[in-house]
Amino acid sequence: MEHSGLAHIKDLLQQQGYVTEPSIVMSIFLAKQLKKPLLIEGPAGVGKTEIAKVMAKALETDLIRLQCYEGLDAPQALYEWNYQHQLLHLKMDEQTGSSLEEKEKNIFSDKFLLKRPLLQAITHHQAPVLLIDEIDRADEEFESFLLELLSDWQISIPEIGTINATHIPQVIVTSNRVRELSEALRRRCLYLYISYPEFEKEVQIVQQKVPGIDDRLGQQICLFMQELRKMKLDKIPGVAETLDWAQALAALHIDHLDKEIVESTLGIVLKDWQDIRQTQLSLSELFEKVGAISKLDQL
Amino acid sequence: MAPKELIKRRTALSANIIGFCRFIRQKGFRIGPTEEVDALRAIEILQPYAAPKDFQLCMKTVLCRSLQQQRKFDELYRQYWTELEKAVDSKVVESEGEGQKSKNSGTQQPSFQALKSWLQGNTQAEKEEVATYSAFEAMGQKDFSTFSEDELTEVLQLIQMIARSLAFQFSRRQKKAKRSARLDLRRTLRLNLRRGGEIMDLAFQKPPRNKRKIVLLCDVSKSMDLYSQFLIQFIYAFQNAYRSIETFVFSTSLHRVSQQLKDKDYKEALTELSQSVPDWSGGTRIGESLTTFCKDYASKMLNRNTIVLILSDGWDTGNVDALKTSMKQIHSKAAKVIWLNPLAGNPAFEPSVQGMTAAMPYIDIFASAHNAASLRKIASHLRKR
Repeated sequence: MEHSGLAHIKDLLQQQGYVTEPSIVMSIFLAKQLKKPLLIEGPAGVGKTEIAKVMAKALETDLIRLQCYEGLDAPQALYEWNYQHQLLHLKMDEQTGSSLEEKEKNIFSDKFLLKRPLLQAITHHQAPVLLIDEIDRADEEFESFLLELLSDWQISIPEIGTINATHIPQVIVTSNRVRELSEALRRRCLYLYISYPEFEKEVQIVQQKVPGIDDRLGQQICLFMQELRKMKLDKIPGVAETLDWAQALAALHIDHLDKEIVESTLGIVLKDWQDIRQTQLSLSELFEKVGAISKLDQL
Repeated sequence: MAPKELIKRRTALSANIIGFCRFIRQKGFRIGPTEEVDALRAIEILQPYAAPKDFQLCMKTVLCRSLQQQRKFDELYRQYWTELEKAVDSKVVESEGEGQKSKNSGTQQPSFQALKSWLQGNTQAEKEEVATYSAFEAMGQKDFSTFSEDELTEVLQLIQMIARSLAFQFSRRQKKAKRSARLDLRRTLRLNLRRGGEIMDLAFQKPPRNKRKIVLLCDVSKSMDLYSQFLIQFIYAFQNAYRSIETFVFSTSLHRVSQQLKDKDYKEALTELSQSVPDWSGGTRIGESLTTFCKDYASKMLNRNTIVLILSDGWDTGNVDALKTSMKQIHSKAAKVIWLNPLAGNPAFEPSVQGMTAAMPYIDIFASAHNAASLRKIASHLRKR
């Protein structure tokens, strides 16, 4: 895969409709070449998870996702035996008179093994992209457990034995910085921080993802979002919100923003009552800024 | 392997990369041989395409481990290569490196001293009658070890007690139980294995008790000086007794210090603290500090499972309205707000300080915390609930 240089990665991402920047391309390139996990941090809704999806598509492999949450433990991430199924099987098997060994071999076979994401990832038929989403939500104990897996790439199941990875997956870990991650995990990964996109990039993203949209409307939406993010909001809207909004307005066949439209559709962008109220109060001010800038652009 | 060869060859470039790694290590990046090898490998992979900009980005990607490091990186990178270019002319690479180093440790010193003297402030007050007292001498003699082991152990025990009593909540996940509505199939099977698959005894599960999370906000301003020793013990002990905790200290601005305290011994933690909090013993701006907290952390950290613990005397020189608004916000998001006030230990105390009055309506538990004894009281109070 010598040809898979920076430019190649960039092309692949662009083909998938992902608007990138050099640091993202470099991180993906190096993560792939150095075979290291990639740790992505950044605020909610800037497309951290999207990177994993796009990467899987670009590499023509599958995406296996482990969503972390508080209290996530090893069985839920690795594997579990399907006890109900095993039990039923034993009952049905009672009359056939097969030997104990046969029975045992039967019930501890792949058929009864519920593979959870991590086991799936290392037994996959080709190297998949393993997305470990929002690792900061899981407990520290889980983080340590994950570290062990990321270095050994093997899982031991008492009834079967040790399962070694058939292919080492490309790991992407995302975090919203709810909790500081351990130094050990950081050192194992390459680090990428994604923040809210600049105006030009956001316009590109909107044009890419909402093809039918009016150019001017797209720009106005992005300008508005840029200003909105400067306000002291409780939940700052991300790119996902921009896209939702653009899609909604495009579907309504609207070609420019005005106060009324913004007021009636603000719920798409802001999901907190106080944020909405605050924005409504300073709507004229926001519009002045957006209007002033868009006029400047036209000159 | 290729990287080994690369190291062996020690081309001018790889030597410079190693040099750069050491340079930023002096600047506080944690970089070991693994990172150096990664950097060399990355450069080797990149070589055919390397534009200077890509080269820089590549090093940044491999060597940075956090946002703070990324922010520092570009400037350090520029520094290093400019100095290197100069050095190629005058051949003084080494002395430059050393110069940086001493300068660096020089800048660390004052803040460490500040914290040290902040801690010493306490002793100073106590020793006032001693005529021959010299601040300089005391600094040399009295070390952080003045916090006796016993004292620390007791505080630690008390805090563990408090931590335990704070830690109740039911979670959705299940754990084993004697009798309840949900059947635990896994254990039922295990129990009945010896009966050859005939199910006779049943096992049940119930939701386990889940630990609550704690956010600790600690005032380290001038007015809290008297309690400095106790405060530091408290923060340190709490951080280490309780796994899911985030610690912040504030005087004029807010600093997140969880990482500096975690898994370190006491002295190490103090050194780290002094490096990351420049305004120990400064003025108090509780309002502004809490507003920062609300803005940057509240929506992520606070939920119905989080207890907010504030340690402050409520003496505020800042914005009282800001304090009120942010307290209201914290109160509405957290499960419980506990305010520990060292002054409240005084029998004559009334929460008449302006800041305190503003915050009062949004506090669930208000208690004194000025020594181990008062902590004991809090612990027993919480246990009763």
